[in-house]
Amino acid sequence: MNLSEVTERISRKLEAKGAQPDRQKIESRLRRLAEEFGVNIDEAERTVTADLAREYNLTGVGNVGNASTELRPISEIVPGDWVTIEGKIVALTPALSPSIAQSGIVADSSGAIRFVTWTRANAPAMEYGHWYRIESAVVDEYKGTPNLKIHSGTTISRMEKDAPLLPSVTPVAELKPGVGSVRAKVIQDWEVSHERMLQTGLLGDETGTIKFVIWKEDGAGPSGGTGPAAPKEPLGKDKLELDAVYNIFYATVDEYNGRLSLALNTAMYITDEGDIEVGRNESEIQGALVHVAPGSGLIKRCPVEGCNRTLSRQNYCPVHEIQPNFRYDLRLKAVLDDGIRAHNVLMQREIVEKLAGITLDEAVAIAETNPLGMDEIFYRIRNAVLGRYYTCAGSEFGGRLLVNSCTPITFKPEELAALLNRAGGEAA
Amino acid sequence: MKPQSAFEREPARRVFASELRETRYQFKDGEDEKSPTYVILPSGIRSNRIFIVGTLTEKQRQGDQNIFYRGRVVDPTGTFFIMAGSYQPEAMQQLARIEPPAFVAVVGKPNLYTTQDGNCLVSVRVESISVVDRDTRDLWVLDTARETLDRLDAFGTTEDSRKAQEEYGTQPDVYRKIVYDALTQVQL
Repeated sequence: MNLSEVTERISRKLEAKGAQPDRQKIESRLRRLAEEFGVNIDEAERTVTADLAREYNLTGVGNVGNASTELRPISEIVPGDWVTIEGKIVALTPALSPSIAQSGIVADSSGAIRFVTWTRANAPAMEYGHWYRIESAVVDEYKGTPNLKIHSGTTISRMEKDAPLLPSVTPVAELKPGVGSVRAKVIQDWEVSHERMLQTGLLGDETGTIKFVIWKEDGAGPSGGTGPAAPKEPLGKDKLELDAVYNIFYATVDEYNGRLSLALNTAMYITDEGDIEVGRNESEIQGALVHVAPGSGLIKRCPVEGCNRTLSRQNYCPVHEIQPNFRYDLRLKAVLDDGIRAHNVLMQREIVEKLAGITLDEAVAIAETNPLGMDEIFYRIRNAVLGRYYTCAGSEFGGRLLVNSCTPITFKPEELAALLNRAGGEAA
Repeated sequence: MKPQSAFEREPARRVFASELRETRYQFKDGEDEKSPTYVILPSGIRSNRIFIVGTLTEKQRQGDQNIFYRGRVVDPTGTFFIMAGSYQPEAMQQLARIEPPAFVAVVGKPNLYTTQDGNCLVSVRVESISVVDRDTRDLWVLDTARETLDRLDAFGTTEDSRKAQEEYGTQPDVYRKIVYDALTQVQL
């Protein structure tokens, strides 16, 4: 890298802020740092830029982190970096605020990142499907997701290049907030919970499952063919079909309360021939059952097809109102604590029946004749399980383990022997 | 990355009576009125909830206006003092139903008191108590031995254990001996 290139970049940055720097002065300062003091070029650039910005009383010019014109693969950039990348615009999303000119996803062969162009940057609009060189953009973190910010100091140039991009697919269990491509099967199609939702459900591959959402888009009509050759302004997405396998490229991975979900509005998806054996990410926890939560024991459920919600004591369903022809059910909401972490667990009828030694029919009979009613069942189940040690296996969902099997832990003499050795070995 | 809004329940630490009895240092994590209060256990970990299993040997009802129950729970190393008042009506009524002697499992919050003659006492405010069996007691001794040894192995490497070193001058070998002695009382 030569000094005049760096000089040019510093001047442009300062000029963009309305200053008229003297190029010779910049270059001589750079030379002094680089040659006399052996400072590396990146650091010299940072120092000179910051010094001059201070002299001209400018803010927002300084470089934090690495300033670099060196081309970087998108997969390697992290929040705090100043970067230069070359990438293809693979998605454009509606700007959510007037201070944002453009937002979307830019990708290269290594990966993809979300970007935002500030209105104040006065940057040329980038077009969907074209390649651009983006110099001196800054990466920051927004809601836990890396985001490329295009500001007034960023230079954008369109490239005469059209290399086909084949995004690398990430196993569902390894997705991180940001942008992700997956090959996954639609295993559940849920009722939408919001009028702006087109579809929501569960996707899975061999490694695990993740919730997905497709939002309705403004002006979405009956959509034409999407797929790999997505239209320039993708209007309205197609729904996914239950049990079909899709290659989904450049979906947005969001995090909320520690849970990830995929928004497919930025993505293109094409069906795939094969099938996938979906992994249930079974996990196993051992610990003491330290809390039985309200809502455990005998409960009533809404009988309306597909509802199944828990009714209040007055048989009120939050959706279907009073339901006198409810169904009884048994469940246990509890906390299994291994001394390091407290895990929420949820057990369904068969498991509760075994654990508490009471069947649903017996429980109903007791509740209908006992003065304490359903509370009596709560107390019986609580007394049977509280304070005891269990091994629970199941799938983790929404911060709660949905238990498939639960067995009491039994005393093993060899464990006692091992602990005696461990405690005695070093103390003696 | 930590989700800011997700509430995480505090785990219940396993601790032997003789270690809890030595606990003297208590602090509040944060300035807020509702910030949790922790004790630092001598083996080097903060705790605002503990899980104990032992024999309830004694139970007493006290107070006229504000009824509360006191109890003693014995493990292989010593005695826990437990109490449940009318602020925890469920726990209080559970305790009221149990006739000593009985094996009990207790989940509760450790509390420090200074008596009139200047002694420091640790008691456990019961969140829940239930009758269990001897097997559960034995499992708890193993569990507590394991977790205590884990803490001792990590002693000096964590912030909490450095604090414990400063406050108590903990000698890990003393606690290894306590663990060993507790284990020898479990019958094969």
